[in-house]
Amino acid sequence: MSSLDKINPPAISKDIGTLHPINQTKDYLLNLLTQIGFKEVHGPEIESEDFNFDMLNIKKSHPARQMHDTFYLENKSNVLRTHTSPVQIRSMLKSKPPIAFSSAGKVYRKDDDATHLPMFHQVEGIYVDTDVTFSNLKDLIHQILHNLFGKDVEIRFRPSYFPFTEPSAEVDILSENGKWLEILGCGIVNPIVLKNCNIDPEKYSGLAFGLGVERIAMLKYGVNDIREFYKSNLDFLGQFK
Amino acid sequence: MKFIYKDLLNFLSEKPSIKNLSERLFQLGHEHEINGEVFAMEFTPNRGDCLSLIGLSRDLNVFFGNAQPYKIFQGDIEELNLDFKNLSPEVCPKISFLEIEIEGNTNEYKPYLENYFSLLGNNKVNFFTDISNYISYELGQPTHCFDSSTINNQLIFENKICEKSFKTLLGSDINLSDKNCIFSVNNEIISLAGVMGGMSTACSTSTKKVLIECAYFIPEAIIGKSVKYNLASDAAHKFERGVDIQSQEEVLRRFIEIARDHVSIKNIKIQTFDEGQAQKFNIPIDVIRINKILGIDLEEEKYLTHLSKLGFGIEKEIVVPAFRHDIASQNDLAEEIARVIGYNNIESKPLEITKKLDKSVDDINRLKNYLIKNGFSEVINFPFTANEEKKSISIDNPLDSNRNNLRTSLKNSLLDNLLYNERRQKDSIKFFEISDLYTKSDQINQEKKLGIIITGRQGHNYLDFSKKLDHAYLSNLLNQNSNDSFFTIEEISRTELKTKKKHKIFYTEISIEIIPKHIFKDSESSLDQINFIKYQSVSEFPSSTRDFSFSITDINKYDDVINHLSDLNDKNLKDAFIFDFYENKKLNEIKVGIRLIFQSTLNTLSEEEIQQSVNKLLKPIVDLEGVSIPGL
Repeated sequence: MSSLDKINPPAISKDIGTLHPINQTKDYLLNLLTQIGFKEVHGPEIESEDFNFDMLNIKKSHPARQMHDTFYLENKSNVLRTHTSPVQIRSMLKSKPPIAFSSAGKVYRKDDDATHLPMFHQVEGIYVDTDVTFSNLKDLIHQILHNLFGKDVEIRFRPSYFPFTEPSAEVDILSENGKWLEILGCGIVNPIVLKNCNIDPEKYSGLAFGLGVERIAMLKYGVNDIREFYKSNLDFLGQFK
Repeated sequence: MKFIYKDLLNFLSEKPSIKNLSERLFQLGHEHEINGEVFAMEFTPNRGDCLSLIGLSRDLNVFFGNAQPYKIFQGDIEELNLDFKNLSPEVCPKISFLEIEIEGNTNEYKPYLENYFSLLGNNKVNFFTDISNYISYELGQPTHCFDSSTINNQLIFENKICEKSFKTLLGSDINLSDKNCIFSVNNEIISLAGVMGGMSTACSTSTKKVLIECAYFIPEAIIGKSVKYNLASDAAHKFERGVDIQSQEEVLRRFIEIARDHVSIKNIKIQTFDEGQAQKFNIPIDVIRINKILGIDLEEEKYLTHLSKLGFGIEKEIVVPAFRHDIASQNDLAEEIARVIGYNNIESKPLEITKKLDKSVDDINRLKNYLIKNGFSEVINFPFTANEEKKSISIDNPLDSNRNNLRTSLKNSLLDNLLYNERRQKDSIKFFEISDLYTKSDQINQEKKLGIIITGRQGHNYLDFSKKLDHAYLSNLLNQNSNDSFFTIEEISRTELKTKKKHKIFYTEISIEIIPKHIFKDSESSLDQINFIKYQSVSEFPSSTRDFSFSITDINKYDDVINHLSDLNDKNLKDAFIFDFYENKKLNEIKVGIRLIFQSTLNTLSEEEIQQSVNKLLKPIVDLEGVSIPGL
């Protein structure tokens, strides 16, 4: 009979925790943008209407500014930012071109149903330099989407409307089931926005894009219900180790 | 908005197939679905000019040419001399009125009018309202029909603060508040202008004489009203996005023509109140700039041809048509050209951002990695709460009264997360959240905080299974040779938590700024190792736990037992771990305790199903000579 001295106790497997899948996806996108040359910048989630709307050419009459779309705070003195674009504005005001900024974080819209949450995450990028064109924008978007979905992914650009970009586009990828899925919004920075940030639009042009982190995470992880991300269920979170 | 395919064809000189038309609509940026021969369109909010047959066809003309399928009344019309006062011309710079009196009844509508109702599923109301609705579909200009007999005094338009109730023509009572555009007679509101008319002046099937109002209201005066008063209004949808300021008289002449198509007209009178000529808006011709924006090489002649086909005037400068409220700059024109060329046909050109940056891992990522390596899972919570403190920032328009403040602490969110998982039979919970918190004093204060909550066992391996997550554990996690006390740990009482669990709950919340960096300095990021695994649905059915203790008296079989236990596989087995290991040297015996957790995504497992799985999993082990489960 063998001696007990010679046996090896069972291996100790330490319980490892999880970075939230939304933050994993967000960090992955930010890391990708850093590799392309974007510098991450930060800004507050409570914003003035000036930074959240006016500086971005979102006029007082725009539906997004209505009480049914935007959370207003403390007698309309501020808003919960509806996108991460004000971070770009704050950063542009402090810098001179060429600039390449990325920003990411929580944003808020007055929605709450099976497919829309009152809080979600965005990752955005802006690049301003001389002679930045729509052709360059297409190249950048291809770089991002090829990295995320592979070199063979089919991509299409559709005209769209954002007050802060002109021309504006929405970008779709062709899914495995043959349906086009909207992935991101992008465009050439509206010269009005550049001017608002003290950048001469006659000399400089820029491109900008924004992705919904939840949307990318849902596609990459195969999660069908956006609400799963915010239940804090250990059985759910534990799958993303 | 829905369009009948054949109606669209009437406005185009070429006759594309549904597929061809659909492809071009997508190219132009007009998303849609096709149901039979009906296009259900979704327009971006800047393209109010496309909310009609004529509007959408103007965009399509660039590919399929222009046809003018409809007639307008060309005859002379007598002046109306309406007693009308426009007290807010800055909101309504142009308004026309048409009075029509008809004779006889119409039994059936001509096909173009009938199809609007039968193919698009619209409800008929009365003759005049039906024409009004059809014209809005055809030409994009809303009109409103008052029964003439009800307008018995001066008609007044004004944009003013009014706190009155108003009964709409659909019968709903609304309480007006703040500023509204209204029409009134004898101090009574008869129409919420640009949104919906009132019951008191509405037409009926017996109405023979109507006063038709056709106006341009500035979008800012109408926007948000239909949502505010919960009124579904096609007119508001169009005015909010901007209509053609020059089209009113043509629209009213078209109204006459359609009426004449169905009944005999007894009398018509018209009057326009124009508070100022609409200004022409011009943009310099600069194809070099357009090419620079898009990164293309388009000849000027082609450039101007494209714009001309879209309805732009080409003079010394480019003249923007009155219906295109969205065009004001060279970038807007560049978008027009990109749409005509097709975004997908514009070649990509390499973008090189010269200033490359090193990937940097910041302190927050290091801190997160430190916690994750110690078994903590990160959660993200919404910031809304019903809890109100003096320093709380309130939300003016919350989703509901339980979410009317921003949280000032992460504690309650993390406690909710903990209780949620305890209810799902989790016996070792370690959560953290890092978030900005906002409070008010004389200004808005922002502070990034780390919240940590723990309860239950320290771990599931046999060394940690019996140890509890407690004050000492949390203190040790954060102290790490530090003598400075930069945090306090709170034990959360279970008294008011409505839970039968006994494990103590400990919580700490720390400002990120004051956490000593030496605690997590060696925890590098693992961003490069991210693996987008495909997630499996989480079961909402309860799990069942079974513990077994093996007695191994033949030490030669020890490795076989451990190998079996590390390779357990069953469709209902969710988790398995060795929670106990004991060497009895006196008896030369090894004891190994294993916990099996069963759960199905399909149903609550029955005792029989669990037993079947247990037998299947353990049989190869208990069949080993010198291995047994005492008491089994």
